[in-house]
Amino acid sequence: MKRAIPAVISAATALTLVLAGCGGEDEPADPNAPVTITLAGWSLSTTPEFKTLADGFHAAHPNVTVELKEYDATNYDTQMTADLAAGTAPDVYVLKNLKNFYTYQSGGQLLDVSDAGGDAGAAYKVDGKSYAVAYRQDSWVLFYNKDLFGKAKVAPPDGGWTWDDYATAAKALTTGLKAGGSKATGTYQHVFQSTVQGFALAQTPGADLLSGDFGYLKPYYQRSLDLQAAGAQPTFGTATTNKLTYQAQFGKQQSAMLLMGTWYIATLLKQRASGDADTFEWGMAPAPQFDKSTTGASATPVTFGDPTGLGINPKASKAKQAAAKEFLTYVAAEDAGKALAGIGITPAKISDAVTQSLFGLDGVPQDDLSKLAYAKHDTKAENPISKHTAGLQNLLNDTHTAILSDSKGLDEAITEAQNRAKNEVLNQ
Amino acid sequence: MATMSRTRHRRGLVWRNTVAGWAFILPNFVGFAALTLVPVVVLFYLAFTNWNVFGVAEWTGTANFRRMWSDASFWTALRNTTYYTVFHIPLTMAASLGLALLLNRKLRGVAFFRTVAFFPYITSIVAIAVVWNQLFSPEYGPLNAFLRGVGVDDPPGWTTSADWSMPAVIIVGTWRYMGYYMLLFLAGLQTIPTQLYEAAEIDGASAWQRFVNVTIPGLRHTTFFVTVMLTIESFKVFDLILVMTQGGPGQSTLVLSQYIYQKGFVENQFGYASAVSIVLFAICFGVTVIQFLVNRRGER
Repeated sequence: MKRAIPAVISAATALTLVLAGCGGEDEPADPNAPVTITLAGWSLSTTPEFKTLADGFHAAHPNVTVELKEYDATNYDTQMTADLAAGTAPDVYVLKNLKNFYTYQSGGQLLDVSDAGGDAGAAYKVDGKSYAVAYRQDSWVLFYNKDLFGKAKVAPPDGGWTWDDYATAAKALTTGLKAGGSKATGTYQHVFQSTVQGFALAQTPGADLLSGDFGYLKPYYQRSLDLQAAGAQPTFGTATTNKLTYQAQFGKQQSAMLLMGTWYIATLLKQRASGDADTFEWGMAPAPQFDKSTTGASATPVTFGDPTGLGINPKASKAKQAAAKEFLTYVAAEDAGKALAGIGITPAKISDAVTQSLFGLDGVPQDDLSKLAYAKHDTKAENPISKHTAGLQNLLNDTHTAILSDSKGLDEAITEAQNRAKNEVLNQ
Repeated sequence: MATMSRTRHRRGLVWRNTVAGWAFILPNFVGFAALTLVPVVVLFYLAFTNWNVFGVAEWTGTANFRRMWSDASFWTALRNTTYYTVFHIPLTMAASLGLALLLNRKLRGVAFFRTVAFFPYITSIVAIAVVWNQLFSPEYGPLNAFLRGVGVDDPPGWTTSADWSMPAVIIVGTWRYMGYYMLLFLAGLQTIPTQLYEAAEIDGASAWQRFVNVTIPGLRHTTFFVTVMLTIESFKVFDLILVMTQGGPGQSTLVLSQYIYQKGFVENQFGYASAVSIVLFAICFGVTVIQFLVNRRGER
């Protein structure tokens, strides 16, 4: 018995070493040899984009099979981090946002993919090299309910709105709807910090998250507070305690306007079909602007949104890396874009064909302003790439809840955020 | 000769017993070692490093602890945790003891009421948070509707106000745990011999005197156990806060466990998060040791 234990241990160790050795070997480099690469995704049954990309690529490259590996949507980054650290992550994985890109890249968990996908890697550049390729690029627009605008007798957005125009319309809508016997509010800004801070950072000239100077947030918060106080949108407290969802708020016609990312298009279409949303005339308009200089037919409206990208696990074998790079090039190109638009998703590169494909879907509005809002905008990244980003976003979330719940005065909250940024994040 | 073989026999027996003992605890021990013991030991090492999950942890000595000293958010979290603890422990003790006394009588349907009191403890914490948040809703919630009904003009904002969010969380925490501790007190109450109460009654003791002189001393051990458990549970409060307020509004309900989670799993600063964990551990450990010392002195 005593002697058996060391024997078993050494046998197990030997076996592990042999198995580990096998995993590291490279397959022969024949470009047409069958290869299977694995791709991370989440909620596969309700998120069809991963399968769309995998199937589309396999059709174009029959020797490469893309196998999907499912993760939990809410804990995606935590699970992916654990799998990468353990060496069991898939060959290609999704970068859900830019906030965590820094951790992956600086941790050596992303292969240099500058030679794949062309300029789709621009958002993921560090020291001149790209570490991922964007396949979708959502941007924030203004969704509005044409029926409720008509009922309240308020002029719908014309593409020339600044934030003040938006606020005036929201208040007029609330009054008009109340007169018409409806309880709906003029607008709904969801509890996300992006709803206020994303626009403020993207649109204010000279605003810089990493400077630690957050004065640029003030006018944006002031407007949100005014809208809350005027009853033109549900208060932050009501939204958090009652767990209001933006899908129900707009889909069930509780609010006439909604600021949201273009991912909501696919959701709204699906919910109309399933009955979770009412059927009404809706449209999209460019997000309200900082000032008149970026409004109107000839200007390009400024908005924000993080790209969603794909990166390659450096632990993948050489043959798999080559196939994975081809896959990245495929997802950034127009064919994949059209396929994605066909399921209501906004691809990284919007062309006329892509816009046509999306606007060909049943239930999508056909007016020119909606098409313009979808296709033409200067989309700034929501987050800069830096080791301080996650820390700053976290403390600004505290600022967000403190201001909107009226727990702290605007100036006091911003000053506190600046002090915390200086003493707790930027000095690390 | 006979003694030698007997010693050998005994040694064999001891060996066999040891093996059998190990065999019994091994399945549990392997799980405990892999999921708790090893991670905890590693945590003590990580607390002195800078580590973001990938690559090798870089030894930084006491840098994490020095950083904590000047980290205002850490102190806010510590202050909030203490706030929660200081109110949660006595309130839960009082509520659970009160319930236990009430339900220790021969009452019709006592089993039903005991079950009802225990219900919150077995209900999912997420469900509790959602429902209580709705009850607390400042504008449309039934709680404030009631308060307005009885003449309170400016009812609190509860979870949406920095001043009232902690009291709101404490109320829900107390409501959730009182059933569990009631059960412990009930068990304690049943061990007090009824003769003591009868003797006290014959001596003319009032109900209050019986409570102070018979019940309280009789529950000594239970009370001590409940206090220790409640203290540890209060210091490591996490799930309730995370689902009810996420530490907000602002940092008004940020507690240590959540701060650890934020620094570790959200910001990937596992070294710093480990250092804060050690401080939390030290606080729990210190307070428990003091409680044991006080208890031992009382027993003498």
